[in-house]
Amino acid sequence: MGKKLFLVLLALILVLSMTACSSTNEQPGATEPGESTETTEPEESTEATGSTESGSVETVVPGKFTVGFDQNFPPMGFVGDDGEFTGFDLELAAEVADRLGLELALQPIAWDAKDMELSTKNIDCIWNGFTINGREDKYTWTEPYMSNNQVFVVRADSGITSLADLAGKTVIVQVDSSAEAALAERPDLVDTFGEYLTAADYNSALMDLEAGAVDAVAMDDTVANYQIEKRGSKFVVLEEKLAAEDYGVGFLLGNEALRDAVQSTLEEMAADGTMAKISEKWFGKDITTIGK
Amino acid sequence: MKLEVLLLKLSEGMLVSVEIFTLTLLFSLPLGLFVAFGRMSKNPLLRNIIKIYISIMRGTPLILQLMVVYFGPYYIFGLPTPHRFLAVIIGFVLNYAAYFAEIYRAGIESMPLGQYEAAKVLGYNKTQTFIKIILPQVIKRILPPVTNEVITLVKDTSLAFVISVPEMFTAAKAIASAQASMLPFVGAGIFYYIFNYIVAFVMEWVEKKFSYFR
Repeated sequence: MGKKLFLVLLALILVLSMTACSSTNEQPGATEPGESTETTEPEESTEATGSTESGSVETVVPGKFTVGFDQNFPPMGFVGDDGEFTGFDLELAAEVADRLGLELALQPIAWDAKDMELSTKNIDCIWNGFTINGREDKYTWTEPYMSNNQVFVVRADSGITSLADLAGKTVIVQVDSSAEAALAERPDLVDTFGEYLTAADYNSALMDLEAGAVDAVAMDDTVANYQIEKRGSKFVVLEEKLAAEDYGVGFLLGNEALRDAVQSTLEEMAADGTMAKISEKWFGKDITTIGK
Repeated sequence: MKLEVLLLKLSEGMLVSVEIFTLTLLFSLPLGLFVAFGRMSKNPLLRNIIKIYISIMRGTPLILQLMVVYFGPYYIFGLPTPHRFLAVIIGFVLNYAAYFAEIYRAGIESMPLGQYEAAKVLGYNKTQTFIKIILPQVIKRILPPVTNEVITLVKDTSLAFVISVPEMFTAAKAIASAQASMLPFVGAGIFYYIFNYIVAFVMEWVEKKFSYFR
């Protein structure tokens, strides 16, 4: 009887793994050799030379420009209507990769693990509405390519119109976000809050807001505006800003070669109008700041 | 986003979840048996090492174990990180083997001593006794708690995104935030339920097959 059970389990496992294996090569993290003729083992990139025919810059996977991003961050990087990754930042990254002669590899990451992903050399950069302010010394940055404000989002019918109105209210913020960092600089303001919470991502924070469990979400206004548009203006952004800041592309500390390559490509794109075109597509106007 | 695209994306994610599920069971079920032997070993060194292993696996969260498997090689030894999916499987197998081992042990230790004595009288050696007499009865007894663990495993696959392996729940979250909609979560719930329903159905069938002598 033991044999029979074994056969039953084995058959089950085989059937399942057959359906399973068909997709293994679709893993975003899966490695394929680059187009270059001299390919090195993709994951052994710590000491790999990374010099390829196509691109002269060294990347973690030779021949590829691996961009780490939080896929829950529209409109900078998210899942589009067709199910593919899209967004303002990802489109910029695609253009940069193209101009550098590299293949773009998009790697969605858990936002809390971004530093580990970067220092273990699994991604080349973090490009995802990534705020420079407060993180200046932690990464090697490009020049800021657009500016952003940290703002509070409240329900339209809540009657909250200023920061002072937030006294005694429940405020929520994404864990490890720049809104959280900005609030850390303002203990006087935080002290007035009734309760101060952190959420895993903006979407759950906004769900909390919609459900009435929290009164305000502190977040990036680019993302806030997108969400308000999507949700049919049930929320408003407070006029009074929490902090003004800049977005940049963050590289592993000391990775100046790749940073310089991306930086000059961005400047090139600003000069020939590509940058303005992408910005107009996503935000209706040119809000980029590089090369100006 | 069209419903087809949503379902397609969730199915793609589900495939990854099913892969994690299948490979974890494939390796952790047999490994658990060996861990159980180690746990019951007469050798105090082996027994205690296994005890510590089980204690760590049960005493720390799986999410943390996954991070250690994936990021540990780099931060502790300066080695390159393993392949993401491989790290997920190693983490899950090590964790689930510990739980399965304790279930096996419960089953094996519940066998009356008289059966071993009878087998000896009948001329069975130790291996024969275990494989032909003890194990079939053990499997029969431990099926309900194993089903519990297996169903928990289906739901635990959602932890894989901590090291950026995008399984089904991650896809649901991403679409929910892009669309500002609750629908993907409803879809995710249905996907999990259907899969677990199938798992429970299969396990019930296996249990019935084993309910001889009744």
